[in-house]
Amino acid sequence: MGRTHAAAWAKLPVKLVGVCSTDQSRAKALADQYSVGTFDSLEKLLDAVDVIDICTPTHLHHEMVLQAAKAGKHIVCEKPLARTVAQAREMIAACKKANVQLLVAHVLRFAPQYAQAKAVVDRGEIGKVAVQRFTRCSALPNWASDNWLMDVEKSGGMLLDLMIHDYDFARWVAGDVESVFAKSLRGQKPGSKEDYGLVMLRHKNGAITNVEGGWAYAPGMFRTAFEIAGDAGLIEHPVDSSTPLGVYMKQNGEVADAPIPVNPLAEDPYTTQVKHFLDVLEKGTTPIVSAEDGLAALQIGLAAIESSRTGRQVQIAEVA
Amino acid sequence: MRIGILSFAHLHAENYMAVMQKMPDVEVVGIADENMERGQYFAKMFNVKLFDSYAALLAEKLDGVIVCSENSKHLPLVKLAAEAGVHVLCEKPLATTVADAQAIVDICKKAGVLLMTAFPMRFSTVALEIKKLIDSGKLGQIYGFNTTNQGALPEFHQGENLPFLKRDWFVDKALAGGGAITDHTVHLADMLRWYLQSEVVEVFATTNAIMHAAKVSVETGGLVMLTFANGVFASVDCSWSKPAYYPTWGGLTMELVAENGLATMDAAKQYTTVYSQKIGRPLWYGWGSDSNAGMLREFVDAVNGKRTPAVTGEDGVKAAEIVTAAYESAATDQPVKLT
Repeated sequence: MGRTHAAAWAKLPVKLVGVCSTDQSRAKALADQYSVGTFDSLEKLLDAVDVIDICTPTHLHHEMVLQAAKAGKHIVCEKPLARTVAQAREMIAACKKANVQLLVAHVLRFAPQYAQAKAVVDRGEIGKVAVQRFTRCSALPNWASDNWLMDVEKSGGMLLDLMIHDYDFARWVAGDVESVFAKSLRGQKPGSKEDYGLVMLRHKNGAITNVEGGWAYAPGMFRTAFEIAGDAGLIEHPVDSSTPLGVYMKQNGEVADAPIPVNPLAEDPYTTQVKHFLDVLEKGTTPIVSAEDGLAALQIGLAAIESSRTGRQVQIAEVA
Repeated sequence: MRIGILSFAHLHAENYMAVMQKMPDVEVVGIADENMERGQYFAKMFNVKLFDSYAALLAEKLDGVIVCSENSKHLPLVKLAAEAGVHVLCEKPLATTVADAQAIVDICKKAGVLLMTAFPMRFSTVALEIKKLIDSGKLGQIYGFNTTNQGALPEFHQGENLPFLKRDWFVDKALAGGGAITDHTVHLADMLRWYLQSEVVEVFATTNAIMHAAKVSVETGGLVMLTFANGVFASVDCSWSKPAYYPTWGGLTMELVAENGLATMDAAKQYTTVYSQKIGRPLWYGWGSDSNAGMLREFVDAVNGKRTPAVTGEDGVKAAEIVTAAYESAATDQPVKLT
């Protein structure tokens, strides 16, 4: 994710200062790409910047955010905000105290189809939200450094790391969540390498949400979808609805990979996101996603993990 | 084979009638309906005889009847048919309570008549492909199912705007047994039991009544989580969440995630979209094979062969148990175990 954020920042009128990572070769490759330096400690990097963008494994966010806040630097932090509620609360308090921004990168809020759906609901076009559905499934991740995503202690696993995108969006649209019921492959069959989860959210206003998540598809596959039903209308965004292009190439008589992206945008959601963060920092724009939103999404994920483990419906108040 | 229809309260009766009139080995002897106005309307539409009473129709030496009354009236009608020695195809859900569903099964067994629950999805050419795929073992271990059986509020299922054609009993708890959960959970519950050859051991449900709140008091939004004895779990969205102006009444979809991949199904996605200025909104005109035709063929063949139909009364009881557990869960906010 560091590479993705760097590419987005590089499109803005800001100066990329440097990269810091425990993986020196990865840091060097990224730094070289933007003709910047590498830093061998967070402390040194913090000395040289106004804003730090933290894209490290989730369990490290806490310590690094506290350090950045102490140094008086504004912070962009990848989702999930933290690994535990206690960590997140301490991070929020520290940033408040240091008077620095803590901007959580819930990028879905900046994806055009999702942002549009939220706007449609806010304009009252489908009335009061009643039932929402979200899908987000991919193959088992193998792209993260040291494959830390597969370490539940570090990442929280699929129920937290992947599905938090949709928990946050569901809550943004339909309001605070009261309780969570979840089933997952790893909950049913502990020790499974892959994971698949179905999570049901009950919002405080009575709306209900079904979230499907998976790290179980064939390599290269990724599917997302949403549907929002209200008492005066329906928004549908099925899996196959965002395919403005179709290019089906042959290679040695077989189907080849598409040579161009199937869903091209003038501005990718990551760039839209950091543009907004820059506006927050430079113009005082109210953040679209607050640190408290990051905490609330984390609580939903932790409640889902607890529910799938215990088989009970879990109240959000229990993971406070 | 001599067949009759008891009541046209359920909208499926119309389709059953149309299908049976095309079956060469079936003679539709007639219909009976406690609402005489409704009975006359459909007798005229299908050019069949209307009998004065259910008993009068059942006295016609019928081989089989289809019971299409309101859900809560299935039991008395099945009882009448069974006592007359007539085999029964009963609309789903079999009954509004587990006790009634079990009574229906017991009465038919005692009378020695066959009983089939109308679960047409088992005869859907699309659904059968998933069944074949599962049975082939190619998917490996099945992880879970994300499913929907959504629809418009059933009151919209009407042709001419005549008072006796209103289907508002679907949203009357006393007559239907409940709302969206009763109407739309049983198809998928039955399909998944059939697919997995495993029973539901736990049911969780969460519901609301936000949609159509001004019109009905039953639940209109619902999410149900079924867990099977083999560990597979499935979510069922049974909501009446399709607007009245949606291109079709609703649908049934499924995503099946397994060790060796993903299989998806959109059972009604064999349609042509029609944009007619006369109608004013796009409509999906289905051209897929009619599942009801397969279901009625099975009923007729089972009666002819004096054999147990592919879908039984017990399957109807199981579905009723799942629905009852879903209501209990929605009321208590916790999963309910089934034994």
